[in-house]
Amino acid sequence: MITFATISFLGLPLLAILLLNVVSKKTGGAISISVGYVVAIIQMIAAVVCMALLWMHGKDFIEFSLFWDMNATLGAAKLSVDLFSLVVLFCIGMVSLASLLTAKKTIGEKTLNYTNLLMVIMLGMNGIAVVTDLFSLYVFLEITGIASFVLIALLNDKRGLEGAFKYLVMSAIASALILGSFALIFTQTGSLVYGDVAKALADWRNAQYAPLLIVGFVMFIAGFSIKAGIAPFHGWLPDAYQSAPASVSVLLGGIVTKMAGVYALIRVLNSVFVAMPMINNTLLILGLISIVFGAVAACGQKDFKRILAYSSISQIGYIILGVASGSLLGFVGAMLHFFNHATFKTTLFVNSAAVEMQTGTTDIDQLGGLQARMPVTAVSSILAFLSMAGIPPLAGFWSKLLIIIAVWQSVSAVGGGIALAASIFTAAYFLILQRKVFFGPLEDHLTEVTEAKGTISLAAVLLSIVTVAFGVLFPVILNFLHLQGIL
Amino acid sequence: MEGQGIIFVCIFVPLIGAFLLPIVGRVMPRLRNILALLFVITAFVTAVIALPQALSGTPILWQMKLPLGFTMGFFADGLAVFMAMTSSLVASIIVFYSFGYIEHYPNQNEYYMMVVLFIGSMMGLVYSTNLLLIYLFWEISAICCWRLIGFYRGKDIVLRADKAFLMTVGGALLMLIGFISVYMQTGTFNLLEMQGNTITTAAMVLILFGILSKSATLPLHTWLPDAGVAPSPVTSLLHAAVLVKIGVYVFARLFLVNFQLDPVWDTVVPVIAGVSALVSAGAAMVETDIKRIIAYSTISQLGFIFLGLSCGTMVGAAGGLLYILMHSLAKGGLFLCAGIVEHSTHTKDINKMGGLAKRLPITAVAFALCAFSVMGIPPFGGFFAKYMVIYGAATSASPWLAVMFIIGAVMTIIYLLRVFIKVFFGELTHPDIKEGSWEMVSSVAILGVLSLLGGIFINLPSYVTTFIIESLLNL
Repeated sequence: MITFATISFLGLPLLAILLLNVVSKKTGGAISISVGYVVAIIQMIAAVVCMALLWMHGKDFIEFSLFWDMNATLGAAKLSVDLFSLVVLFCIGMVSLASLLTAKKTIGEKTLNYTNLLMVIMLGMNGIAVVTDLFSLYVFLEITGIASFVLIALLNDKRGLEGAFKYLVMSAIASALILGSFALIFTQTGSLVYGDVAKALADWRNAQYAPLLIVGFVMFIAGFSIKAGIAPFHGWLPDAYQSAPASVSVLLGGIVTKMAGVYALIRVLNSVFVAMPMINNTLLILGLISIVFGAVAACGQKDFKRILAYSSISQIGYIILGVASGSLLGFVGAMLHFFNHATFKTTLFVNSAAVEMQTGTTDIDQLGGLQARMPVTAVSSILAFLSMAGIPPLAGFWSKLLIIIAVWQSVSAVGGGIALAASIFTAAYFLILQRKVFFGPLEDHLTEVTEAKGTISLAAVLLSIVTVAFGVLFPVILNFLHLQGIL
Repeated sequence: MEGQGIIFVCIFVPLIGAFLLPIVGRVMPRLRNILALLFVITAFVTAVIALPQALSGTPILWQMKLPLGFTMGFFADGLAVFMAMTSSLVASIIVFYSFGYIEHYPNQNEYYMMVVLFIGSMMGLVYSTNLLLIYLFWEISAICCWRLIGFYRGKDIVLRADKAFLMTVGGALLMLIGFISVYMQTGTFNLLEMQGNTITTAAMVLILFGILSKSATLPLHTWLPDAGVAPSPVTSLLHAAVLVKIGVYVFARLFLVNFQLDPVWDTVVPVIAGVSALVSAGAAMVETDIKRIIAYSTISQLGFIFLGLSCGTMVGAAGGLLYILMHSLAKGGLFLCAGIVEHSTHTKDINKMGGLAKRLPITAVAFALCAFSVMGIPPFGGFFAKYMVIYGAATSASPWLAVMFIIGAVMTIIYLLRVFIKVFFGELTHPDIKEGSWEMVSSVAILGVLSLLGGIFINLPSYVTTFIIESLLNL
């Protein structure tokens, strides 16, 4: 069982790519979305099964390998899943499913290309989640990145190509920085495996070329900040999100940037750069800048997807802040916020896809009063936004609260206070968007609009249920984490 | 402990029932209305049932232990039950009134859901033993208030709904920072565990921001008059039954019962309240929009409640609590009367009205009864409450405060008489109007009569409030 579950994370997407490409193009196109559903759902189940197994055996992590002997001394990359990676693997499955549900209605003829690329991107993200050495991490980062450039430009229109190009350039710079930093670390520590590097870095100040390591740290932070879209490294992010096809925005906004940037950053931070206040403090400041900047900038946007993009910058700031606090509480908060952000941001991108599909635009000035015509979209967007703004009892409130308490406890009250007070800007752009798109009088040219039926509404409803249930049942979750000895 | 079920019914029937209403409403609007009323009445009845035990000294308590000091729980002491009773009583009448008022408008499903959810959140809030739960219900009420103020959906109206949301949520966020700072100091969010602690000035100020923004007290009051664009039952709900009382209740709960405060606040808070009372009374004297006048009057009267609760004497506090009840009844009635007037004349400008008493006799009488209570004319309920508040202030450490409020009380009489005379006496301006529907008229009649009865049988409410305050302060 455990072998099956763990292998499915990397094996299933590969298998799906093979399957979709050995059959004829026509059949491939016809079955692709359904195959995608199966892969995504199995991944979610596998993640839950692995979590259950972890707790049943009382272990912190499960190590496994794919096609090679785990005990080989040279050239064998061990894979490993722990609670955090299982949570993100679940998120990957969930967001991919939502993206597929959206794609079914919006992608048109490109279903085969889309599903193939989705499988590649899932493979890349799953890889990021399970690897245990820096080099494999880099490889999977690149797989994810390349698949996303193509996905953004999938429809071959000018806007998509422009967004993809911008992302490509920034991402290349980020890759160079990341690879450079790994190289520097390798020259100084002689290893790329998380555990070994961490040991070697324990007294890095005494290393022969300590300044080189500092350069490596700086390149590391800069590289991953670009990937994660943390202010002031965020320039590419709004354009990429806005120009991508609807279902790809769901994927990018929901999970890709978070995996390639945030998760990878957190993983390296926690397993390699253990207890390095220098890096934590830098990230703390970057996180705070992101939170405030993203939220303020979102208030000035005129496009549904751009508002969401800037709000991502802001919310990612919270995740970074939680990790940068350096305490376990902050880490748990960050993990929960990662999950919550995947849920509510995916909901919102699905909503924007519904609005775009039904009205043909995402310009908020041309919309108005859609609640009367699209009740499911309107209500799910309200729930998602309230969760994002940290309004209880929705899920976002609890994770934000944990993060803020952690920052307050271990760093400073001021940081926590700023992070909390910045929620008012989240509430502000929530109100602006709601007023212009859903609340308010129905515009005359929109009276014929109908709700986006079928899979899109289904995705929005399912994700809203997750947001509400996670929020309302949070005391149970908290208790559970406590019983497991995590909190 | 016995009777925990009672609290759960009181909180969760409206809270969960609210979500059933839109579903029922799709099939049978009539049943939805009745269910909405039933849910709110359930809350009232259960609160009444819980009263004897709450006063007996062993209040009902239910708690769930959680890690990190997040312990959740509900607790029905005298103060909580009193607030629950007051709110749900007035809210029941308002829901009943809505049957007539709202029936011609779209979005009724959302309306009833939000109203009942609003009341459910109030019930949850008053029974909470935990700062996080208080914050939780506080924000739910803000969401309801946002949807309800924007009920008519006009561009300008939605903008004002947004303003109300932003101001109250902004205040609440500052309050949450204050709560977290209390948590850092005590290691728990549980009110019962942190009883008697002295909190820092910074935390006090932050929490006060939240309370003043919710209870629309100077300088954070500006959203309340603007919220007058909402349907009248909603403004009534905001001003009388639920929203502004949330702030007052949290003030009483935290600063009267739970925390030790620096004595300087015994002067600072009454002064804020006094300035708020005077400034808004002044505003009420020059406004010409009937709903804005009554809204400013709410801000002004809230000053009295804050004065009573914060002046530091037992009589004052009991008076403040009594005034919460009397003000809810009377102010609820005033807004509902204004609703009938607006509904009939299609204007809110008092200069364009006159002589309406001839056409709206019951409304006029009900308006008069409620207005007398707010003015503080004996033997109406408002008089006794105001008297106790001012007496409490006069015997407190800084008796000069009472002067401010006597001036405020006089101003109240002036602006309410002005409205009453302009609207109901003089030359008849709208000859062809008639009374509102029977639901609306009987609602205002009930509130008017209750305001009078509250004064005539003052023994009972004043006994209860005094008893509650005594048992709270002797803890």
